[in-house]
Amino acid sequence: MKTKRLTKVTSAIIIAAFLAVMVFPFFWILITSFKPSSEIFGKDTAFNIIANNPTLINYKAVLDKGILNSVKNSFIVATVTTIYVVCVATLSAYILARVRFKGKGLVLGLILSVSMFPQMVVVGPIFNMFYKLNMLNSYFVTLAYSSITLPAAVWIMVAHFKRIPLSIEEAASIDGCSQWQTLWKVIFPIALPGVFTSAIMTFIAAWNEYLLTMTLNSDKQFQTVPVAINALRTQFSILWGEITAATVLVVIPTLIIVLLFQKQIVSGMTSGAVKE
Amino acid sequence: MRKTITAKQAAFLLPLFLLLAVFALYPIISSAIYSLFDYRTNDQQVAGLYTTGNFNAPLFSEDCGYINWFLEDDITLLSEADQTELRAAMEQVDALAKQYVTIGEVTKISAAEAKQITSQVAEIQATIQSVYERNDGVTFYNGWDKLNTIFREMDSCMINSNFTGLAAYGKLLSDTRFFHSLRSTAIFTVISVTFELIFGMALALIMNKAIKGIGGVRTTALIPWAIPTAVSALMWSYMYDGSSGIIAKIFTDIGLIASPELMLLSAGGAMTAAILADVWKTTPYMALLLLAGLQIIDKVLYESAKIDGAGPAKTFFKITLPLLKPSLLVALLFRTLDAFRVYDLIAVLTGGAQGTETLSIYAYKLMIAQNNYGYGSVVVLTMALCVGVIAFLFVKVLGAEIVKDD
Repeated sequence: MKTKRLTKVTSAIIIAAFLAVMVFPFFWILITSFKPSSEIFGKDTAFNIIANNPTLINYKAVLDKGILNSVKNSFIVATVTTIYVVCVATLSAYILARVRFKGKGLVLGLILSVSMFPQMVVVGPIFNMFYKLNMLNSYFVTLAYSSITLPAAVWIMVAHFKRIPLSIEEAASIDGCSQWQTLWKVIFPIALPGVFTSAIMTFIAAWNEYLLTMTLNSDKQFQTVPVAINALRTQFSILWGEITAATVLVVIPTLIIVLLFQKQIVSGMTSGAVKE
Repeated sequence: MRKTITAKQAAFLLPLFLLLAVFALYPIISSAIYSLFDYRTNDQQVAGLYTTGNFNAPLFSEDCGYINWFLEDDITLLSEADQTELRAAMEQVDALAKQYVTIGEVTKISAAEAKQITSQVAEIQATIQSVYERNDGVTFYNGWDKLNTIFREMDSCMINSNFTGLAAYGKLLSDTRFFHSLRSTAIFTVISVTFELIFGMALALIMNKAIKGIGGVRTTALIPWAIPTAVSALMWSYMYDGSSGIIAKIFTDIGLIASPELMLLSAGGAMTAAILADVWKTTPYMALLLLAGLQIIDKVLYESAKIDGAGPAKTFFKITLPLLKPSLLVALLFRTLDAFRVYDLIAVLTGGAQGTETLSIYAYKLMIAQNNYGYGSVVVLTMALCVGVIAFLFVKVLGAEIVKDD
């Protein structure tokens, strides 16, 4: 009994420490965002928890610098990516889950290799392609995101489609549904949680993408959030106040997504990695 | 299940194939092709992929025109003998111009012909130069310097093949910077994945036991994972800052580093900083993956182990670990590959300074910053090869199952 209690206490301490470590950076960023520059860089005031003169000046500065435009760009890019990736992944995952054909292993292997390949391999040639087609600095960057989001989306959906009993589909087929109708009217509604999971995962991946958008969209007008925030750090000065304020603003959407969809996110993270 | 695929069913796969072909396969193949050429877009001579020599005939004949035009002005200031010599040279230039003026575009040229033109031009150049040098005292309208500029431009009309085959891969073997970045990548990968595994496993085991409050812990754990790496790296770079960074100050106060500036400005410090930030961001991922693996282990097994009198250590090694192995291997594989490919974190945190230059950073600098696509592709493909080897080791040697096809 005594040892059981001891393990319980140890577990609680570990969990508490873990939570503290996870949360601390966010907490520190939040309090810094309310400090004026003089306090952030002041020797005595830099490590104060409560700002002596709390201010919203950092938030005003980043809003004036157009951080909301970057948030808008991120939303456009992530939404468009999610829509087309989910459509394409649904179509192919249905076939990959339901039809047995020669070369299927090859297709699955190809999808997997693409997800494992270093993203760096595609950056140079895609930059050249976009340059030649005059697509740099535009929302066309969403198309390039397919190489990083599509494999995972297909993977998650194949796992979900496989869970749907074949008998449902056979019944639909007997009732005279075509394959197309079966997919959209019968399978799709049942697989909706899986579709939703891959949509969330795609959205987060597109929202977080940094390398491609930094390379392809150097124009401030088309920068997404991760790039725009890093652009606040110039060669000559590091405006920590503005950077922390911008971070607070852009973490909020992520926070909302996590709070609303944590179940789907966990399911998306683990599908493919865990076998039932 | 149906054995063959109908055309209609294949059509369902078409959009996937199209996207993967354009944005994954085409770039990969392009990279492979780039790697066989000395391809640098900031140098006109090698700004394309040339398997044969090319000759910019229009520019060449235009340059011939300029030479004679300049000489026409200067020749009047010379002695009779020199004039005759220059006239002869001008006639040769004229002949060359006439020969190629009809070709209105950049054309392919054989190596022999290229050599012949080059030597002919060099001969004319030498003659003209010697005439000018003989008349050093004369104040010319144009002078040798101007003419020499045109001769140099004529050289660039001849674009040699920049096909190097596998030579660049050989160059890689003597590239110490490449091996340094390979080493940094390996250090970063091994240490951060090890820590993530230890912490992730501990958390997963605790969360698997606890019933109350697990939802809250899970939500909190998801946030670092869900925010953009480029943003979290920036958060950490603030906390590591030499003058106002809290982590740098704490580490100095407890004696881990001598002064706060050393956090990002010393070799050991910068690597530690990168690993710490990575462990912070991805331990939750590892923990949740392992937790999912733990949750599918039949609880009855633990009951019977208890009845048989097995202690917690024995239960962990005899029951938990073997049954967790499939999930564990896949989680490890995913994390190892991710860590090996790390770019965002290092780029934002140190930019590759202080021995933190990983393969991705090096490759990106070569390709995008220096426009050296040829050698940059060699580095990325070598990196891809390493990724392939890692995946192979996990799948074939350790037995990770990722493709589950019934």
